[in-house]
Amino acid sequence: MKDDLMTFLVGGEAGHGVKKAGSVAAGIFAGMGRNIFQMDDYQSLIRGGHNFSVISTAMDEITSHYMKADLSVALDAGSYRMHREHLAEDGIMVFNSDQVKDGQGLGIPMTAEANKYARPDLILGVGAVVALACGLGWDREKTGQVIGEVYPGGAEDNVAYAGRIYGLVEGRLKGRFALRSGERRRTVLSGNQAIGLGALAAGLDTYLAYPMTPASPLLHFLAEQAEEFGIVVMHPESEVAVANIAVGAAAAGARTMVGTSGGGLALMDEALSLAGMTETPLLCILGSRPGPATGVPTYTEQGDLKFAMNKGHGEYPRIVASPGHIEEAYRLAAQLLDLAWQFQTPAIMITEKHLAESRMTVELDLKEAVWAGALMHREGTYGRYRDAEEGISPLLFPPSAEIIKWNSYEHDQSGITTERAETVARMHDKRFRKGESLVRRMKEMRTVNVYGQSGPLIFTYGSSTMSVLEALRLLGADARVVQPIYLEPLPVWDLEKYLGSAPVVVEQSRAGQFASLLREKLDMEPAAVIRRYDGRPFEPAELARQIEEVI
Amino acid sequence: MADDLTTGAEITWCPGCGNFGIFNAFKKAIGQLEKQGVGRDHLFMVAGIGQHAKIFDYAGISGFYGLHGRSMATAQGVKLANPDLKVIDFVGDGDAMGEGLEHLLFAAKRNADITVVMHDNGIYALTTGQRSPLSEKGYRGPSTPRGSEEEPFNPLTLLLEAGATFVARSYSGNIDHLTEMMVQAVQHRGFSFLDVLQVCVTFNNKYDLYNEKVTVMDEVPGSVDEAAALARQKDRLPIGIFYQADKTPHHRALYGSHHPLVKRLSRKKRLEKIQRMLRSM
Repeated sequence: MKDDLMTFLVGGEAGHGVKKAGSVAAGIFAGMGRNIFQMDDYQSLIRGGHNFSVISTAMDEITSHYMKADLSVALDAGSYRMHREHLAEDGIMVFNSDQVKDGQGLGIPMTAEANKYARPDLILGVGAVVALACGLGWDREKTGQVIGEVYPGGAEDNVAYAGRIYGLVEGRLKGRFALRSGERRRTVLSGNQAIGLGALAAGLDTYLAYPMTPASPLLHFLAEQAEEFGIVVMHPESEVAVANIAVGAAAAGARTMVGTSGGGLALMDEALSLAGMTETPLLCILGSRPGPATGVPTYTEQGDLKFAMNKGHGEYPRIVASPGHIEEAYRLAAQLLDLAWQFQTPAIMITEKHLAESRMTVELDLKEAVWAGALMHREGTYGRYRDAEEGISPLLFPPSAEIIKWNSYEHDQSGITTERAETVARMHDKRFRKGESLVRRMKEMRTVNVYGQSGPLIFTYGSSTMSVLEALRLLGADARVVQPIYLEPLPVWDLEKYLGSAPVVVEQSRAGQFASLLREKLDMEPAAVIRRYDGRPFEPAELARQIEEVI
Repeated sequence: MADDLTTGAEITWCPGCGNFGIFNAFKKAIGQLEKQGVGRDHLFMVAGIGQHAKIFDYAGISGFYGLHGRSMATAQGVKLANPDLKVIDFVGDGDAMGEGLEHLLFAAKRNADITVVMHDNGIYALTTGQRSPLSEKGYRGPSTPRGSEEEPFNPLTLLLEAGATFVARSYSGNIDHLTEMMVQAVQHRGFSFLDVLQVCVTFNNKYDLYNEKVTVMDEVPGSVDEAAALARQKDRLPIGIFYQADKTPHHRALYGSHHPLVKRLSRKKRLEKIQRMLRSM
C-alpha cells in the first residue's frame, strides 16, 4: 500500500460545481507540495445527471486516481448511493441530509443551508471544499479566506456558506486527515493544457478545431492564449473545413495544429490524405473516446489506434504517437510538430479522454520541447517537389519571385499535374524515401519508454501506462513495463529484444488493437490481454488484482 | 500562348471552351493588378477539382491545387496565415455549390478576404457531363437520363443572402469585362464572389443563349433587394457588380492588425510566457 495516500471524492449533479470543487481540492493538495491525480467523471449534459471528481494525493509520485475515497462528499442522493461502495476502510462520507434520510456517515442539511443564498446550486460545491479543508485541520478563518479567493464570484455568500458548513462538519472532521506537506507548491496541468503548451513552445502559429469532447478544452485553452502568444485560433464550420483551412495555413508557412475526436477525425480523412500528397506539415490531436459513432462522448477508450494509423486514403508516410504521461504530452506535442515539419507529412497524436482531461502534478523542463524546424529552399530555381536524396524537398513560402505549386494531383517536381507512369512511380518513391529518412531520425530519438529492470513483461501505451504504473506501485511488484511512444512507424528497432515474447498487454479496447499490433509487428503472442472498455479508466487497485492474477 | 504567365503544361481543354476566356482574362487581370501595385509574387491561386481547375497547371503563379469542393477552405487558411497575400480561388459550379457549398457560404458569412471565381458551366464536365447544382430542371446527363428532377440554385442571391460583400457576374465570352471584374474582385477588401457564365462546348453549349441574353449593367444596383431582383431575371442576364459593401474582413476581425508569421514570437519569449503561466497553475 502506498504511504500517505489520500483520496477525496466529490459527487453531485451537473450545475453543482463538482468539477470546480475537484480542481480547488487538487490545488489545495498541490499547494501543500503534494502530488495529485484528478479524474473528472462527467456526463454529456449541462444540468442534472451525475458528475464526480476524484483526487488522489501522495507525497511521492502518483499517476492515477483511486476510487476508494477517504473523504467522500455527496451533494445529492444519487452521489450517496453511487459512492457508498467507493469508501476506503476508514473513510467517511459527508452527505446531504436534505436528500438522504438515515444515511451512514456525516449528514448535513446542505440544500437547506444553500437555499439561503442567491445561487443555491452552484454553492453546493463550496461545501465540499470546506469539508476537505476542515479535514486537513484548517481553522475556520483560513478556510473562509481561501474560499473567498478561489470562489470570487459572489464571494461574500460563498464565505458565509463556508462558515455555516464548517460549523456543521467541524466536530467529526477537523484534523481527521493529517497529511504531510512538501517544501514548495506543485504545478497542476491537464493533458490538454500540456499539449497546448508543448505546441506553443514548439512554435505553433495556428490552431483550428470544431468543438468535440474531449478535445474541446484544448481549443478553449489555446483560444484564451491566442492574443498573448500572437497565434491564430479559429473555430470553423466543420472538421472538414478545419482540416482544409489548416492545410492552406501550413502551405503559407504557418505551423498548424488541429484537434478533434474520432468522429471529427473521420471528417478530416480526405484532408489528411491531401496533406500526405501535397507534403503539407500538419499536426492533428486525436482525443479518443468510446465509439463507434457518437459513442459515449465524455468517457475514455483506446479504440481508435488502428483508425489513426490508417488515416487518409492512398499510401504516404504517416506518423502516429501517443503520450503515456501528461509531462510526456508536453514534449511529444512539440516533437510531433517538429517531425511533421521536418518530414512534411501529417502527424497524429492519439490521446484519450483519460489523459486529455485528467489533471496531475508535473515537473516540466520547458526546454524539452523542441522548436519545430524545416528544410528551407536557399537559392536557385524552385521546384516544390524537387526529388532530393532524403526524399525531402525544401520548403519555400509566398511571397516569392519563385513559383511555388502545391498539388493534390500526382505531380512533377515543379508541382504540375502529371499522369506519366515514370513520374507517378518516381514521386511515390520520393515520398517513401521520406518515410525511410523519418525512421533514421527516429532511431536517434527516444521512441519507447521502459520502466523497471526485472520481472514480468507488460506492454501498454497511452493513458493506460499511467494506470499500469500506479497499479504496480500499489502491488510493490517488480515488472518491466514497455510503452511504445511511437506507434506508426512502430519502433521495431527498439523493440527487437522482445520479439516472440509473451507479455501481458494492458489496453482500453474491446478488440485488443494494441495486442493485435504487437502480434503483427513483433510476432508476440500475449500471455494475457487485460482490457477495459466500459468507458471508465482503469482503477489501480482493480488493475493490480488483474495483473496479479496473470503474472 | 507563350508568355511569362503560362507554364507550358499541355492544355487539355476542348477547342472553344469557355475556360480559355477565363484564363486569358486572368492573365490580363494580373497585368492590370501589377500596374495597380499588386505584385504577382503576392498573388496566390487556389483551385478545386474539375475542368476549370486545370488553370492551376497552366498559370505561372504560385498556388495550391486543392480538393474537390474544399479549395475555398484551403484558400481561407492561406489568407489567415499570411494576410499580405491576395488569394484567388478558381472553383467550378459543381465544386463550389455541391461538394463545397458549406465552405463557400461560410467564407461569405465571415467575410473571408479571398476571391472566389466560379467557372459556371452548369454541369460536371471533367466527369463527363452529369448535372451540377446549377443545371436547369430537366437537364439530361448520364446520371439523370430522364432529366434532372431538381431546381438549380441561384448562386448570386444565395451569396447575397450569405453575406458576401462583393457579388458580381461576368461572361467568359466578354474578356474585357471579365478582366475588369477580376481586378475589382481581387482588390475588394473582404469576400468577393465572381460568377462567370461559361460555355461548355461539349456538354452544355450555351454560346447562342449567352450572346443573346448577356447585357452589361451600367451601374451597381442601389440595394441588395434590387440586386437580387436583377439576379433572378431570366429573359436577360445582366453582368457586372451586383453588390459591394465595405466591412471588416474576417482575419482583421479575428486578430486585428497582427501578422501571425511576420510577428511570430521567438522560442525564448514563448518559453518565458509559459514559465510565467505555470506559476499560477
